[in-house]
Amino acid sequence: MVLGATSSTAHTLRRFVVQYGVYVSLGLLLIAALILTPNLFSEQTLTVLLKQSAQLGIIAIGQTLTLLVAGLDLSVGGVIFMTSVIIARVSNGVDSALPLAIGLSFLFSAVIGLANGLLITKRRIPPFVATLAIFILVQGAVQAYTRGVPGGFVPEGLSVVNQSAGFISIPVVLWVVLTALFVFVLRKTPFGRRLYAVGSNADTASLSGLNVDRFKIAAYILCSLLACVSGVVLTGYVGYVDRFIASGLDLDAIAAAVVGGTLFTGGRGSVLSTMAGVLLIQILSTMALLLGLSIQTQFIIKGVVILAAVALYSLARTD
Amino acid sequence: MKKFVWLALVALLLIGGAVMAQDTEKPAFTQEEIDASPYLQSVLARQETMYDTSAFKKDGPYRIALAAQGTSNSWSALFDEHARWYAEELGTDVIGELLYADAQASADVQVPQVEDLLAQEPDALILVPMGAAALSAPVERAMAQGVPVILCASTVETDNFVTEVGTNLYAAGAYLAQYLVDELGGEGNVVMMAGIPGVTTSDVMEAGAKAVFAANPGITVLDGQPGNWSTAEAKSLMETWLAKYGDDINGVWSGGAQMSQGIVSAYLDAGKEIPPIGGGEFGNGFLRLALENELSYAAWQYPNAMVTLCMDMAVKILQGESVPRFVDFQDSIPDTQYFTDAEGANYFNPEWSDDVFGPILFPAERLESLGFLVKK
Repeated sequence: MVLGATSSTAHTLRRFVVQYGVYVSLGLLLIAALILTPNLFSEQTLTVLLKQSAQLGIIAIGQTLTLLVAGLDLSVGGVIFMTSVIIARVSNGVDSALPLAIGLSFLFSAVIGLANGLLITKRRIPPFVATLAIFILVQGAVQAYTRGVPGGFVPEGLSVVNQSAGFISIPVVLWVVLTALFVFVLRKTPFGRRLYAVGSNADTASLSGLNVDRFKIAAYILCSLLACVSGVVLTGYVGYVDRFIASGLDLDAIAAAVVGGTLFTGGRGSVLSTMAGVLLIQILSTMALLLGLSIQTQFIIKGVVILAAVALYSLARTD
Repeated sequence: MKKFVWLALVALLLIGGAVMAQDTEKPAFTQEEIDASPYLQSVLARQETMYDTSAFKKDGPYRIALAAQGTSNSWSALFDEHARWYAEELGTDVIGELLYADAQASADVQVPQVEDLLAQEPDALILVPMGAAALSAPVERAMAQGVPVILCASTVETDNFVTEVGTNLYAAGAYLAQYLVDELGGEGNVVMMAGIPGVTTSDVMEAGAKAVFAANPGITVLDGQPGNWSTAEAKSLMETWLAKYGDDINGVWSGGAQMSQGIVSAYLDAGKEIPPIGGGEFGNGFLRLALENELSYAAWQYPNAMVTLCMDMAVKILQGESVPRFVDFQDSIPDTQYFTDAEGANYFNPEWSDDVFGPILFPAERLESLGFLVKK
């Protein structure tokens, strides 16, 4: 009887860790920030923190979708860079050409997502290999298009993404709206529920009549489109075509989703907890900067946090 | 009386000349600095040492291998174009063939490429090393094979090469820091944004700057972080610093113009007055931004045109002429000196796109064919 009660408590605790661990961690981190770096809560720091979180957060939504179908997408860095180059080259700094440039970026991004999805589902290429190959291909195509010179002019109109009211900026609004949209889609629509089913057990989903490939392809297309949104935001933010525009963001987005509790094996995770994961990673980075820690220490802290999160979820899910 | 006036005029000219010479004189280093920096010891020693190249002497035309950084950015594209143009300028009786390898800015790609180039038995190898450690062994192998190696724009860990063309990076970093010290009258707070940690160019420039700040006790370095030569990362970092230090920042030291563009962008977004920046370059994008916002800055240069000097060195070596083991491009290529905002307008070219890093030695038509002129 006692054994049963203990087992039940342990089970409840594990479920709590899996469902709310990232939010508790975020809360604890904020308390630590209050003590160690109180200037984190100044309006200016919060503005910067949220803006930078939004840039990462939009990509992380897409990564969560691919992780939910037991995949991942390493091509998002290529999509962001491509978006930046298309905007600068097609518009050549002219505001009126911006809709065409952004439209083309979305079109090419969707094609990249489709290619990822088809390679993974129809050719049975592992997601790591398929999306890495597409990333290299996109980089090569962009270099061929630009002849190795990723230049051009970013239209002045795109700098609108830098505007903010208090600590709410356009990228933050976009991030929150997109997160809310995908929370709704994943929880309340048949498409969302089936996406989880496909990720949990593709064979069972297939046996129950679901077109598994179609759901996986959709996840990759959405991931590419979200990377494109992030590319537009980042291009407006930087104001230049920067070869390193997405450096680090692609892998940080996967890390944020994992810290948020999304499983690499698919079927478990949520966009809302990814949002908490993004905030956790970004607050840690900002705190490290405010404390004046060296870049080496920052990398170590980030690595430890990711490892700790994975270990904790792994322990909690061992049932 | 007339004699006296002439004498006074000559004296004034001499004094003026001496003052101007002092302005353009390269920074002197203390023994303490030299002792603390193996880079500085190496560069200063090699500048004074000549390499006897008689063993490499042969008749032309020559087959010269160029292992370049390759397709990665505008600096590198213009570097390659300078190489192609200069080979044509020298003529086929001097350079019969220019073998070329594109490393795509990766040491992993470059190492086997150098092996491939050496298999083609070139007369000389011009190498833009993508990694000091990774390229050391290929350089050793080239020299053992009897192919003289000219390092261009970067260095390797081994000392077994003929010569290196570049500039004193320690001095460049120190110059940018000294500019800030002078602008601030020796009193104030600065932040330092270096390039990529572990990359020689970045680390050495940073060391030069730190030595200057350390020698000026009135200067406080509030913070120092890498911006990884990325405009986006530099902007994010500067935004965080602005949130943390606000108006306490009196000057910004930056190890590259692309990061300086991000720094300026962060200030513009924050609506704050931009302090003096020690970290401009002869990059048209930076110069345009500087002119539009009336920036106070000091700039150093790392011209892609230095490949022409590397090719000159290759030809000299093959002709059996002794060459210095370190060649500073500032001494040979015009318009590659340090400069400040006072001269910035002379360097800016409204015809060029933002991606152009000058000086450009070849005709404008070649720039146009590469898409580097502003579309009208």
